[in-house]
Amino acid sequence: MKDDLNIVGKRVVRSDSLAKVTGRARYTADLKFPNMLVAKVLRSPLPHARILGIDLTAALKVPGVKAAISGFDTYGVKWGVFRYTQDHDMLPTDKVRYIGEDVAAVAAVDEETALEALSRIQVDYEPLPAVFEPNEAMQEGAPQIHDAYKNNINVHVHINVGDVDKAMSEAFLVREDTFKAAGEAYAMMEPYAVVASYANGFLDLWMPNAGPHVRAKALSNLLKMPLNRVRVRHINSGGAFGGRSEVSPGDLVASLLSIKAGRPVRLALSREENATSTRQVHDMIATVKTGMSKDGAIMAKDYRVIYDGGAYSSTGPIATSIPFYVYEECYRFPNVRYNGYRVFTNKGIRGMYGCHGRAFIAGNEAQMDLMGKELGMDPVDIRLKNGLTSGEVTATQSKITSCGLAETIATASERTNFKEKWTKTSKGKGIGMGCIAIMCGFPMGFRSGSSCYVKMNDDGQATLVTGLVDNGQGNESMVIQVASEILGIPMEDVNLVNADTEATNLDPGAYSQAAAFVGANAVRIACENARKKIVAIAAEKLGVKEADIDLRDRMAFSRKTPGKNMRISWVVREAFFRGDPIVATGTYFPSIDFEREWVSRPWGQMAGTFSFGTSVAEVRIDGQTGKITVPHFTAAHDCGRPINPMAVEGQMEGSIQQAGIATIMEENLWNKGFLLNPDLLEYKVPLACDMPEIETIIVSSIDPEGPFGAKEGGLTIRMNAYSAIACAVANATGTLFSELPLTPDRVLNILERKKGAKK
Amino acid sequence: MKTIKVSFRVNDETVAFQVKPYETLLETLRERIDLIGSKEACGMGACGACTVIVDGIPLRSCLVLTPEVNGASITTVEGLAKDGNLHPLQEAFMEKGAVQCGFCTSGMIMTAKALLDRNKKPTQKEVIKTMSSNICRCTGYKKIVEAVEYAASRRTSAG
Amino acid sequence: MILPKFDYKKAEDIAAAIALYERSKGRACYLAGGTDLIPLLKLRLSEPSAMIDLKGIPQLKTISRKGNSLVIGPNVTLFELKNHETVKDYFPALYESLDATSCETLQMRGTIGGNILQNTRCLLYNKSLDWRTARGFCYKMGGETCNVVPNAAACFSNYCSDNALSLLSLSASVKLAGPEGERKIKLEKLFSKDGRNPFTLKPGEILTEFHIPFKRSTGAYEKLRVRNAIDYPLLGVAVSMIGGKGKVCVGGIGPAPLVYDLKDLSGAGLKEVAQQARQEARPVSNTTLSAGYRKKMVNVLTQRAIKRALKEGK
Ligand SMILES: Cc1cc2nc3c(=O)[nH]c(=O)nc-3n(C[C@H](O)[C@H](O)[C@H](O)COP(=O)(O)OP(=O)(O)OC[C@H]3O[C@@H](n4cnc5c(N)ncnc54)[C@H](O)[C@@H]3O)c2cc1C
Repeated sequence: MKDDLNIVGKRVVRSDSLAKVTGRARYTADLKFPNMLVAKVLRSPLPHARILGIDLTAALKVPGVKAAISGFDTYGVKWGVFRYTQDHDMLPTDKVRYIGEDVAAVAAVDEETALEALSRIQVDYEPLPAVFEPNEAMQEGAPQIHDAYKNNINVHVHINVGDVDKAMSEAFLVREDTFKAAGEAYAMMEPYAVVASYANGFLDLWMPNAGPHVRAKALSNLLKMPLNRVRVRHINSGGAFGGRSEVSPGDLVASLLSIKAGRPVRLALSREENATSTRQVHDMIATVKTGMSKDGAIMAKDYRVIYDGGAYSSTGPIATSIPFYVYEECYRFPNVRYNGYRVFTNKGIRGMYGCHGRAFIAGNEAQMDLMGKELGMDPVDIRLKNGLTSGEVTATQSKITSCGLAETIATASERTNFKEKWTKTSKGKGIGMGCIAIMCGFPMGFRSGSSCYVKMNDDGQATLVTGLVDNGQGNESMVIQVASEILGIPMEDVNLVNADTEATNLDPGAYSQAAAFVGANAVRIACENARKKIVAIAAEKLGVKEADIDLRDRMAFSRKTPGKNMRISWVVREAFFRGDPIVATGTYFPSIDFEREWVSRPWGQMAGTFSFGTSVAEVRIDGQTGKITVPHFTAAHDCGRPINPMAVEGQMEGSIQQAGIATIMEENLWNKGFLLNPDLLEYKVPLACDMPEIETIIVSSIDPEGPFGAKEGGLTIRMNAYSAIACAVANATGTLFSELPLTPDRVLNILERKKGAKK
Repeated sequence: MKTIKVSFRVNDETVAFQVKPYETLLETLRERIDLIGSKEACGMGACGACTVIVDGIPLRSCLVLTPEVNGASITTVEGLAKDGNLHPLQEAFMEKGAVQCGFCTSGMIMTAKALLDRNKKPTQKEVIKTMSSNICRCTGYKKIVEAVEYAASRRTSAG
Repeated sequence: MILPKFDYKKAEDIAAAIALYERSKGRACYLAGGTDLIPLLKLRLSEPSAMIDLKGIPQLKTISRKGNSLVIGPNVTLFELKNHETVKDYFPALYESLDATSCETLQMRGTIGGNILQNTRCLLYNKSLDWRTARGFCYKMGGETCNVVPNAAACFSNYCSDNALSLLSLSASVKLAGPEGERKIKLEKLFSKDGRNPFTLKPGEILTEFHIPFKRSTGAYEKLRVRNAIDYPLLGVAVSMIGGKGKVCVGGIGPAPLVYDLKDLSGAGLKEVAQQARQEARPVSNTTLSAGYRKKMVNVLTQRAIKRALKEGK
């Protein structure tokens, strides 16, 4: 591997930004095709009801309507990420299970016509009793949402390591607390949209997605079409955060309408539909019991966590597990029992979230502070005491390779003068710390790895072909940077063909934190293979040893006698001439335990590596209004080597907004199965004026496996920023919170309870 | 419903159409003249992704009826670069890493442009206040604020 | 999101606007900045036959002094008004409320007339037609019930204008012109106190002028909101004082502002006003923060606003 890097590790301008600042970048709803129709979806007005009939005849009679569909036009194939979770009929014919569920759709020449047609569709429902709270849904006699899942328990993840009961009985200190958190909205700026174009037996699709190949596969199953006839194409995506990972009902709707009408169809959801009818985040209730020894070591953890799963399985087993894993990858648990239940309710469909699990993780962290305090340890010491170090194995048998956890804790606390501030709290001020680890990838069978092709073009430019997808994180620019570094050509000489299922090979997608560690690694290997070929020809032509050749600034040259050099384009032409053009492939598969399964076998190597991070928040609380402000936020992240530090910082800063400041304002509000804030006015995405002064610290620990030592950029902060805020509030108020987000009304309750208790 | 004749200048070009009286400026820009840089993210004036500048004032084009801008002069993100040169704000957004998914970017840049046009050297506080008109979900705003300040400093130093 | 069908007309003067209204048989709607109205139309909460654009009427865009009053045209934007030379000096409560209204971009489009005449809001009302149809129509949509408070006899939607509060605290009055002629009323009289139809405007009436007594005041505006921009008030309190007397106005809760006279400036007197406002405010669960909390905050913010107004006076 090269050490004297030219481009990797530099604050480069992202390759995608020019198109974005000039307004030229295309997103799905920007696409226009000749004869394109507009689609609109009729949605369920009821949280739970039997469908007795759907009559599309009147809709089809509206002039300008070219197709209308309902579940009766599908093959009835159900979607589920796993074989055992296939329960989602994306256009149902038996029952509707949430308000906003897709029931029927039309495609027409314009939106007005489509809306007119929708109003003429007749659906007969028999309303059924509905249930909205997981605790109620789990009771005997509660309305059954799916026949196959008794008491609406969709997934039960059970992990049991060591002897928890014994360890608890031997622990010096035991504490049990319950934490609740409302689910959030992804609130990606781009409302969901799909363009489907069916012609000559091929279906071309554009939509924001975090993995084109899994999307195409799901649709080929749902549509009973051969996989090669369903082609998901590259398009920019206006944010995902985990919410664009799975196939969406809109994909099926747009596809069917295009097939029926034989014309391209555009379905663009409104902001409200994006909130009610694409994926949402799980609400959760976490009971955390911890046993500690006198010296502050965690002896046992006993967990019961209930996830409000909404109406269908979705990524259920993963969602039910991740909060636990990112926590056990951070701290040493000699004994641990985890019971995670994902429970169906008559609410919208849920998915994984970049900040998933705040009740669980922030709860654990705040409880740890409290227990540490009882033992005379501050948050820094207790975290260092329990934090995993490189070479250790997690409770569920994942080996940690590179690990900069301790360093992130140390730097973040030094920069903030944490220890002193934490001990000497003044009225209404608090400081808090949150730590976490993140697996870079996880087992997904043959989809766990990524493959890349690279070909050198005759003018010395390169074309990369990779399945890797960008949802705004900067993945595309990252791999261009990697290729540029290895091939010795500037970034603008690297062309990218990516995230197109026809042209590109499999990639794990942008939802398992694997883009850098796996996707970019495949690119690295492919480019290194191409480089070898370039070097071989150049060495021969220049009459020097291969080891003496370096590539830089479009030139191949001798390191010893730089005067001996030639243009890379000449090398490439020579290769063409020899009938052996410079093309290369690269594949990267992380070393993980492929036997590992979320429910049936929850142990074994989870990922090829793990990233680590520590966040420190400083808060001020207005004692009269309960309103929190966050003057400072400091985040330290061990991301391996940052390929583009500016991009990593951007991820960290975004995380401080989306997880950190979200902790004082973001929540989906529900009433009888109705989402009360499906908009950007009443759903509170923090604004520039709500943001703290931010300090980001990148702690590079060169990962032995990662491309140039890289691991993952920013997700640790996404998964610990809420802990820092919540712990800071606990520090300021001297009390544990029980519910997130910490909106002013909840904070005032905490303050008043505390006052009441004092009196 | 009968259509209305509307004519206005957009990015230094005069355009004229028959529009629906209930057509929004955002629809006209996107659907009739393919200026797709302005985005519909909320459609309700809450987020600013559709911000364009009309006679010097930044407007959320999803809340403006096209007949209202008859005779006006409009700048969209597509009209910022002049003679192949990017506007300092566009450069600053790139150089400072203020762009992630890009969906809010044009609205952010247009909001910032209107600010710099009326206040050559805003303080950081003023920048934050103005930029709080727009929602971004990716960046945490830090690099956006930096980019606006940077563009302002470059513009003033360049005279 | 597309708009429902309507016609668009631009009026050149007030008489023409009224004439257009009369011709529409009462089905047209006046349009200023549209920042309140257009979202309502998109949600199909209003389906007028035509928009009568008032922005082409020069007379409605001016700010001038007439006698002892500052006269403000309703089409002056919030931003222009905020930056008008006299406002910060003479009417600090108004300056602060303008500054706290939504965000800068919306202040540059939204007008003071539209701000005062904005419709009342409710989490269960400002929703799409589909959402509302599924939920069932409430009083404000022409239904027979309140979706927030079961069995309530009235509508609990909230009047969320920030600036009505400060204008009320400054004893503003308004001039109206309509098919039946002109009248001038105290701003307080503009509110019907009925959330279904919050104003006492007669059909076709145009708000043509605001009059504020031109006396230097001290004052303050306190706003409860989750984010520090864009958000409507969950509670607003404006206080203005002139010569040892003042007014306290509380809004954002219920369909009309509450107005109190402030005469007794002793600590006890101030507390009493705050307490009274708290008692009379009837928040219900129709906003993002809890009703109980908002009620408590009436007291807190009222005291804060009064304290600041008094301090400024010193
Ligand atoms: C995201 C968002 C956030 C907002 N936040 C706030 C906030 O924090 N505080 C706040 O107070 N408002 C807020 N608003 C509402 C709105 O922007 C302002 O109230 C604005 O001042 C309304 O003015 P306008 O000119 O746009 O009104 P319009 O929408 O044009 O008109 C509003 C109403 O007044 C009527 N009207 C207007 N002028 C006249 C006249 N001269 N005579 C008779 N009738 C007339 C119209 O027919 C209409 O019914 C917000 C709006 C949005 C979209």
